[in-house]
Amino acid sequence: MRKFTMTVAGVAMLFGSLITAQVAQAAQPSHDTVVYTQPATPKVKAFDCQGTTGNMGCGPGWFWRDGWRGWACYPC
Amino acid sequence: MLRMTRARAVIAAGFLTIGGMMAGMGSAAAQIDFGTLPVNPNEVTDSTAYVAAAPIQNPQGQPGIEASYSHRDGSRTVTDTILVLGSPEAASAAMGEARGQVSSQVVGTPQVAPVGSGGSIVAGTSPDGTRSIAVLTFTEGSAFTTVEFEGPANDPVPVDLVTEYGQKQAAAIRDALVAA
Repeated sequence: MRKFTMTVAGVAMLFGSLITAQVAQAAQPSHDTVVYTQPATPKVKAFDCQGTTGNMGCGPGWFWRDGWRGWACYPC
Repeated sequence: MLRMTRARAVIAAGFLTIGGMMAGMGSAAAQIDFGTLPVNPNEVTDSTAYVAAAPIQNPQGQPGIEASYSHRDGSRTVTDTILVLGSPEAASAAMGEARGQVSSQVVGTPQVAPVGSGGSIVAGTSPDGTRSIAVLTFTEGSAFTTVEFEGPANDPVPVDLVTEYGQKQAAAIRDALVAA
């Protein structure tokens, strides 16, 4: 009787671990669907003629200085 | 000092012509407050960049005014000289004489300017090439005006600013002459 009980217990433990493993396996996606892309190379555009990204809202080809019209954006 | 000498040389040429016309000068010049005529560059540029010097009334004995404005950085000046003569013909004659002198003071090519009557701009450099100079001349009725812009050789005054200034100056003269 004792031997039978030990056998049943051993089988139960074996199946139990297998069932748990299957459930855990089912919870995970079978394939990785996320598409990984390489990060783009940073691009920096120099806005003014001093090589910076601009000052006081001066656009490309202009820069901020005190000139004939006072403080204003002037062409490079 | 160089600027003053050059400006006066240009204006002096006009004086030779208008000297004999003074007797025929109308009453308009006598009624105009010349001090109200010059346009401050700060009004045109919407800035506080320019500081006005004390104006010269009736420069070299001629009816009119000379006003000078210096940029706060000390590198630019605007000299505005307005002569109110006896007639439009006298103003035109004075302008013709003055332009003959401008060509020897500024190395540049004259170009037509939409300012007053017969407006012209000579933009270039001083004969020695050390300064940028633009001279605007025009008449408005019986008034002859010379505006000189002097600055660094590598930073000449924009022509559109010269034109804008001149148009505002011509309008101020026109309004004053009409009111006189």
